[in-house]
Amino acid sequence: MNYITGYYTTKFGELWDKSLFDLVEEAINGVLKSTNLERKKIDAVFFGNMLAGVLGNNLHSTSKLSEILDVNIPVFRTEAACASGGTAFNLAKTYLDANSNKNVLVIGAEKMTDYSPEEVITALSAAASGEEQEAGLTFSGLYAMMANFYLEKYHYTEKNLAYVSVKNHYHGTLNDKAHFRRKISIDDVLESAYVSYPLKVLDSSPISDGASAIIMSNNLNFIKKQDYSASVLASEIATDTISLKSRKNIDEILATKIVSDKAFKMAKIKRSDINVAELHDCFSIAEILAMEDLGFWKKGEGGQKIMEESTTYGNGGNLIVNTSGGLKASGHPVGATGIKQIGEIFLQLTGQANNRQVKNAKYGLAHNVGGSGGTAVVTILSS
Amino acid sequence: MISPVKIWRRQKDIRKILGKKGKIFLWTKIFTPGTGFKKYAPYPVVLVELENNEKVYGQLVDHEEKDLKIGKKLISVLRKVRTASVDGVIAYGIKFRPLK
Repeated sequence: MNYITGYYTTKFGELWDKSLFDLVEEAINGVLKSTNLERKKIDAVFFGNMLAGVLGNNLHSTSKLSEILDVNIPVFRTEAACASGGTAFNLAKTYLDANSNKNVLVIGAEKMTDYSPEEVITALSAAASGEEQEAGLTFSGLYAMMANFYLEKYHYTEKNLAYVSVKNHYHGTLNDKAHFRRKISIDDVLESAYVSYPLKVLDSSPISDGASAIIMSNNLNFIKKQDYSASVLASEIATDTISLKSRKNIDEILATKIVSDKAFKMAKIKRSDINVAELHDCFSIAEILAMEDLGFWKKGEGGQKIMEESTTYGNGGNLIVNTSGGLKASGHPVGATGIKQIGEIFLQLTGQANNRQVKNAKYGLAHNVGGSGGTAVVTILSS
Repeated sequence: MISPVKIWRRQKDIRKILGKKGKIFLWTKIFTPGTGFKKYAPYPVVLVELENNEKVYGQLVDHEEKDLKIGKKLISVLRKVRTASVDGVIAYGIKFRPLK
């Protein structure tokens, strides 16, 4: 069995005084301090990052990490668009499954605010198909197409979607590392400007900087000495077509459905056992689709269910979703997101989530998506 | 990067889908585009299901707001698709206009 024993994240936001590797270094120092792990006791590093090559002309980050850590161990970088972090975690777990008595460092990081919105939107579009890029489609555009289809098919309106952002912004007020820490109302969402119709600014996750890091281990001597640990019951990945047009169904992310079935089977628990979940709400529609595709809600009822606010912290629901603020309010430094999601679940399961602590949380799930659904990663942890 | 050779390579396939009829399967309207599309914004993008069931993306041109609905019948036309590259090569591609 593999255990997470430590987590640290930088603040997410517009961090103009920090470079990509300043953020990485802060995350590494933070997580090593929290676990009392010496650098020389790390056996391998897994780094999730999407845009450093495209935006910053920074590749070979594996070697840069060797320099920062002053070690000569294997370092791997993973890229799967917005699922780069989740993918790094999955590879780290696979490494531990194949090697006993090891400690691994998993980091996700992104530096996005040095560039104009057009440059960042274009760089993110690299994760869409060539045909989608050539038609002038952006990621908000692809999710907007899904939203339009979903709203029409199930007879919902933009108001149904707005409930996702209101919840996640409330949760963001409880997280001191979140990019946005202010409450918003349904009217605020509905009155915000369109990004891609029907999705608006307040339906959309922001462009953020940030880095998050986790220590995972199967070294029982090390784990015994740790103050906190959570066991990794499952980490699974599924892929699907890069092009939205090649998908059979537009009102679902098939990769999420496939990977959640695999993960629950591996974890040997039921959907109803999950107390806390971090879901990939890059746009409001994405959280609703995720709740359905993960099997928490039935297909098509998400637009109604979200209005009941049962997944909001403090409302007494059995499953609380995106206590970190989600991508919407916590921020979305692309490579960091998948690690932050798993880290938030770790905090919840080890009683370290402070003023957003879900009582008696025993099982948690993190769901990370790349592109318009071409990659999906699901991780299930237990206290 | 959009190189002239890349544009040339893509254009070989465009003639095959010119003048084809179909209907809107998915649509959106982009208000915040990436580099090369800013001067067209806001612009509608549609995914069209052609009569042979093939699906093709493109922007909708010469349209009215009421044309933006699933099922609207369209025909593919040749248009400039983005601001010309630094090499001065104009990229042409498929867009769609409504059928009356």
